Amino acid sequence: MTSSRLNQVYGWLLLLPAAVLLVAFTHYPTIRTLVDSTFSKSTATRPARFVGLDNYAMLLDDPVFWQVAVNNLIFALGTIPASIGLALVMALWVNGKLAGRGFLRLAYFTPTILPMVAVANIWLFFYTPGIGLIDQVLGLFGLPGRNWLGDSATVLPSLIVMTVWKEAGFFMIFYLAALQAIPPELKEAAMLEGAGRFTYLRRVLLPLLMPTTLFVLVNAVLNSFKLVDHLFILTKGGPNNASSLLLYYIYENAFSFFDTPYAATLTAVLLAVLALLAAGQFLILDKRVHYR
Amino acid sequence: MTVRLRGIQVESLSKSWGNTQAVKDVTFSVESGQFLVLLGPSGCGKSTTLRMIAGLEPVSGGSIHIGGNDVTHAPPARRGLSMVFQSYALFPHLNVAENILFGLKVRKVGRAERDERLKRVADMTGLSELLARKPAQLSGGQRQRVALARAIIAEHPVCLMDEPLSNLDAKLRHEMRVEIRALQQRLGMTVIYVTHDQVEAMSMADKVVLMRHGRIEQQGSPEEMYARPDTVFTATFLGTPPMNLIELADGAGGAVIKGMTDASVVAAGQGDGRLLGVRPEHVVLLDEGGLTARAESADYHGADTVVTALLGSQRINLRVPGRFALEQGAELRLGWRAEDVHFFDFESGRRCEQDALPRVA
Repeated sequence: MTSSRLNQVYGWLLLLPAAVLLVAFTHYPTIRTLVDSTFSKSTATRPARFVGLDNYAMLLDDPVFWQVAVNNLIFALGTIPASIGLALVMALWVNGKLAGRGFLRLAYFTPTILPMVAVANIWLFFYTPGIGLIDQVLGLFGLPGRNWLGDSATVLPSLIVMTVWKEAGFFMIFYLAALQAIPPELKEAAMLEGAGRFTYLRRVLLPLLMPTTLFVLVNAVLNSFKLVDHLFILTKGGPNNASSLLLYYIYENAFSFFDTPYAATLTAVLLAVLALLAAGQFLILDKRVHYR
Repeated sequence: MTVRLRGIQVESLSKSWGNTQAVKDVTFSVESGQFLVLLGPSGCGKSTTLRMIAGLEPVSGGSIHIGGNDVTHAPPARRGLSMVFQSYALFPHLNVAENILFGLKVRKVGRAERDERLKRVADMTGLSELLARKPAQLSGGQRQRVALARAIIAEHPVCLMDEPLSNLDAKLRHEMRVEIRALQQRLGMTVIYVTHDQVEAMSMADKVVLMRHGRIEQQGSPEEMYARPDTVFTATFLGTPPMNLIELADGAGGAVIKGMTDASVVAAGQGDGRLLGVRPEHVVLLDEGGLTARAESADYHGADTVVTALLGSQRINLRVPGRFALEQGAELRLGWRAEDVHFFDFESGRRCEQDALPRVA
């Protein structure tokens, strides 16, 4: 065997452990899901059979799917810009010279360290009707309380607020790291040229933070579809599916209704949506991002 | 390009952070169109002084006037000055043209005028071909030019430069030195230039302000400071190799070189507690007479050789033209002219007047 062939063997051997894990837990399940979505549900009397795209046709006719999809869209639009914007503002704030800066940074980061389930329990206490924190505070001002999580009009906004609270601190850390990598002379040079804070922010800081923004954006989009832990604690998707999200609906179909093919179909759709979003973000934004 | 004429006056300027005083009672003035160099070792407060003049650092005491206006507490943009940073401070996401035009856009200068000024400045700094490039695609020297172009396009009468050449290699540094000086004279700019490199100070400055431990050690034209240093610090900071400082002692009939056995008198009067200073280029080799020294080493520089010799137990450098064939331990006879000799007090480091006895007939 020649040495270059030997090197190839070594290379493949080195890749093997990671490749095995990836194939076993990512690639194979993905393909299996796509295959499953083209089969019918198996029952005790009837085994699964190939049905082609029937499951997808059923999905298009499923009003719950559409409601859940719209919920997820609202959830994404509500959480992504708000958490990124808040993260940027917090990062700019704790990047400045101020007393107790370290404490403030820690405070902003704390929600990130907490598991989503713990966060949900904390907010459950806030949102509980009557005795919850929000209602008690409202009561101090003589305002009526309400059932925040039990009302289909307020349940989704309530979840959005909680998610923004949890996510913003995490994104802040990335912005803070990026801000600290920007040399202070740039600000001084801009000030000498007569640029005010706002001009500096718009013309220098934001463009230099674009790589971070893109990274954070991709994460925020993924999280808006991935994070459903809180639904188990807070609402179970209710009332009347008003707070259900795609991933939660998939879970319900797979493990509550035991409709694996339909869950696989939903998963395939979710994967397609995420792939499209990620590709779109990179293709559109990459041209406008300056990498150092 | 016309530039309004403006001078700068700095009056008892000081800066402290808590208990540390970085700048103490600094007073100097620059006339309009002058090139002033703030010189000193690192940590001497020269950059802090410059940053206070720029308005980037609040002033703890004293005042700054630019063109007769008190700008001690004015924001940087109101001081009518531009600045070149050591790191260049170019905006990495903007191309060369956008970097140069940044200030004009901020100040809402019209497009036609902007383009015209850009063309002129780009020609002047040799950047015309590079306008579309990003800073990361430029060499160090080119980045330096962009920083310079950004400073001069503003047409501010005053330009501050903070060690602008320290990131360049020796050859480029020399070229940029010449170029900056030529630009400054052509545009009639008033420049305050910070450096720790005495060669830059000597070759570019109309006036040098030498700082040490936050205070001004001495100020004047490069020629004055070189020819007549007020202190030991000035004497040794300017010139390479630095001025020789030789300890003296009291001897019969005047001051003699400390530790020399065949001590011959080098100066009239007191010797104890005094230092004799003489520059290496002023020490000459004699055929006979003079002081006897032992050759120790030779450092060949091309045009000349710096020879180190032992005068008793003290080292002395002398500059000899061309190559010097050194025989280690060989006996050398050294001398100098009386007018090239300086005397300093050992304790205070201050210059003192004393008559040197001529060592060269």
